[in-house]
Parts: sequence; structure tokens; C-alpha cells
Amino acid sequence: MSAKPGAATPTYSPKVVGRSRLPIFKDSDLDWSRPDGRGFPQCRPALLQTGAVSSASGSAYAEFGNTKVIVSVFGPRESKKAMTYSDVGRLNCNVSYTTFASPTLGQGTDHKEYSSMLHKALEGVIMMETFPKTTVDVFALVLESGGSDLSVVISCASLALADAGIMMYDLITAVSVSCIGKNLMIDPVTEEEGCEDGSFMMTCMPSRYEVTQLTVTGEWTTPNINEAMQLCLDACLKLGEIMRDCLKQAASASDE
Amino acid sequence: MVGLSIGEQHFVKGGIAQDLRTDGRKRLTYRPIYVETGVIPQANGSARVKIGGTDVIASVKAEIGRPSSLQPDKGKVAVFIDCSPTAEPTFGGRGGEELSSELALALQRCLLGGKSGAGAGINLSSLLIKEGKVCWDLYIDGLVISSDGNLLDALGAAIKAALTNTAIPKVNVSAEVADDEQPEIDISDEEYLQFDTSSVPVIVTLTKVGTHYIVDATAEEESQMSSAVSISVNRVGHICGLTKRGGSGLDPSVILDMISVAKHVTETLMSKLDSEISAAEACEDES
Repeated sequence: MSAKPGAATPTYSPKVVGRSRLPIFKDSDLDWSRPDGRGFPQCRPALLQTGAVSSASGSAYAEFGNTKVIVSVFGPRESKKAMTYSDVGRLNCNVSYTTFASPTLGQGTDHKEYSSMLHKALEGVIMMETFPKTTVDVFALVLESGGSDLSVVISCASLALADAGIMMYDLITAVSVSCIGKNLMIDPVTEEEGCEDGSFMMTCMPSRYEVTQLTVTGEWTTPNINEAMQLCLDACLKLGEIMRDCLKQAASASDE
Repeated sequence: MVGLSIGEQHFVKGGIAQDLRTDGRKRLTYRPIYVETGVIPQANGSARVKIGGTDVIASVKAEIGRPSSLQPDKGKVAVFIDCSPTAEPTFGGRGGEELSSELALALQRCLLGGKSGAGAGINLSSLLIKEGKVCWDLYIDGLVISSDGNLLDALGAAIKAALTNTAIPKVNVSAEVADDEQPEIDISDEEYLQFDTSSVPVIVTLTKVGTHYIVDATAEEESQMSSAVSISVNRVGHICGLTKRGGSGLDPSVILDMISVAKHVTETLMSKLDSEISAAEACEDES
């Protein structure tokens, strides 16, 4: 492509369709129909793989629709920064986005928040006493952001930790629910998250049936919260099954 | 904070189980709340809240700014919290950074609601002056002077009081200009608009110690907690934000129970706060 001197270089950028749809959905008569044709309580199909990064102690790759995340776990290895002796191990989490992860160039502003939320989700489930004086590093990289990023990162991180052999009380799974008008939809995509009235993200341990982290924004009535919680618990249990199958497959493949 | 011996830990936990805490309160009773508004004359609004030994100051500053290109019809709000080393020596330097960002995140979640603006305590459209060009930027700063547990509730109350105290000057857009130029604005010195804070929620933190929940934990009770859930409820009784802190897992039915307890506690807390804030405003008007 040759550019005329003085003219701007021809560029291509996809049109942002989402905003023009907003006025329609403020009407309470019209129901929201999901962009990918799913039903409201339907999650995206999950693709989970362990052993994605061969140089890491453990790693996992997850693809939930358009959200693609890779997590690698290093450790337990020597704590360099802190000279103080610690009876329990340390956990260090980092979530970063690639520059091409979102449709608009440049990085999102949520990294530091996500890193601390990932840390909070994992610290309750890892048995820190099993690796004193050392640190476990969890690095998550979001290759493409298609909605429910943090939930996918948390589930993928727990799979990577299991792959690394770090002792945990249970696997953790995370699912988020979006509220638009009166409708609750599970596993929202980016367009739905952009115009949601409320979001509900839950991290739970499926076998122990315990909630380890819960974050709610927006306005919710108590019956909505009940319904969202039931949806999330159900989805978390099923996602837990899928994660276990993935780990079993990886284990039996290495046996052969 | 001095560590607790094993005997003291049992004392705290056992007392809570019997509905008698170390300072004589019941499980769902707040410490006396003291509110003072207008403590920072240079800010557009400010308040100081003392809940027992916890002392926090919140200030609101409004500045003219440009709305973001993603949301051209809304103003912007930013919440920053600073945990001063006077509260705890560990807060000095970078120590308090993690706690500050956690508190700021929780407060931002409660005040700003969902992405579309539903359930927001502050109506961002009311901060707009001219669509796409000029809007008010609100900077809400919280300072923790003394920390004796329950920082989030105190900061939430202080921000609510500071917003009630906030007076934003009236702005007249003086000249109509072409689309790509900034319009001239005239900021009035005389007329002020009071902020509408009827939908700002209060935050209630329920701390789980053993098998019971307490409201308004002191620092020593917080050291014994297994987990804490902070629930923000607005005047209408809807949940505006929920954050679970602490690593240990909670049964889902426990969380639903906590939500109903929080709603019950909010009724008394909201009316108490409202009366304290209006008393403080009346006091300030007289002086």
C-alpha cells in the first residue's frame, strides 16, 4: 500500500457496534438476546489444557469462547526479596494483558486490581504451610479478553497450580453472572459486561461447597442475589468436574 | 498492635459466642459514632468520623475536566485512600499500600454501581456540564488517622457525610463554540449546588468469629476473624455492593444469612448516621 505524501496512512479498525445498541435495551419490554445465541443460564464451552508452558513448574491454558488465558506457576522457589524467615510460604500473583487482548489498542486499567483479587482467591485454598521460606509465583497472561476475564483467570490458575503439584485444599472455580434489567445471565461476554446493571463474581471450592470469594457490584435485590448464587454454585460444580477430567487426562497421558 | 495470648483469644471468641464482647457490646451493636463536617475548609466537602477508636477523614474536591470518550455523558469520580503511619507504624512507606488499594476498590465498587450506572450512590450524569466537553471530576480522598478495626464502615460513613457537605459551584457555559473547541465556562463564586446524597449507601462489615457474626469489630476482634463480608445497602434495601475478605471459605447459606443480618442492621445504622450528619451540618452552619 503506497501512501500519498502528506496523507494519513490508511488504517483499519473495527467499528464498535455495542454502543449503538444501548438505547434499545433500556426498554424493559425488549428482552436481551445474547450475541452468541446462548440461553441465559448457559456457559460458554470450556477448553482447558495443562502443560502449556514447558519451562514452568506447572501451567494451564484456558479458552472460554473468546477469552483466552494462559497461566504459568513457578515454584516453590527461594524468596529473594524478603529476608525475614516465614513459617508459611508466600504467594505472588500477577495478571497482565497483552496489548492485543482488547479490541482497542493499549492496555486495560484493571491489572493491579485483578492481581490482588487473584491473590485473595488463591491464598485461602493453597496450603501455605507446606512450603515455608519459599515463594510460589503465579503469572497470568490474558491473550484475548472476551468477557468474564477474572473468572477464567482464577479457574485457569487453580488448574496450573494443580499441574505444578502445589498442595491445595481443593480446586477453585470462578463464575460470574451479569444482571441486565431483570435478566440474569451467566458467563457474560464483553458487550454484555459493557452495559450491565450489576455484576456478581463468585469463587468456590466445588467439593467442599464453600465460597471463598464473592464480589458484587451494582444494585441487587435479595431474590436476585439468591438466584445468582444458585446459578453460580451450579456452574462452579460443573466446571469443577471438567477441570478434574482435564487433570485426569493429563495424568493418564503421561502414564502411557 | 500487640498480639493476643491464647487465653485472650479464647476470651474474645468465647465472649462473642455468648453475645458479650470485650467492651460489653452485643454482637450487632455499633460503637458510638461521632460525625463532624466541614473540617477541611479548602475542599468542596469534608467530614471526620470517629467510630470508637477508629478515626478517619474524607474530603471531596471537584475540578473541571473532560469526560472520557467511552462515556461522554457522565462525570468522573476517583476514590483514593491513604492509611497514614500515625495509625499503625506498619503503614509507613509501602506497607499500607495494599490495604489502601483494597479499601479504595471496595469503596469505588459501592459508590459507583454497575457499568451502566444502575445502583450508583453518586449520579454521574449530574456531574455533566456540557456533553463530551466539560464535566466535573470528583476526587474523593480518605485518610485513616487512627485504626481500631472496621475501617471500611468508617470510611463509608465519612464519604457519605462529606458528600452531604459538598457544595459544587454553579457553572454557566458562556459561549457557544464549534464542535471541536472547548467552550468558555464561567464558574460562579456565589451560587452553589448541594449534592443529592439520598442514594449513597452505607457499608456494614460483618466479621465471622467462630460460628457467629459481629458488626463493627475492633482491631483485636479482627485478628481472630476467619472471614469478613462487607455489604453495602442503600435506603431502599437493595444491595449495592458486596465484598468478601479473608481466605477461609463460607457456606453459601451463611452468606445469604449475613446479607439479611446486614439489611436489618442497616436500618438502624442509616437513620443514626443521617441524624448525626444533619446535627453536624446544623452545628457547622451556626459556627
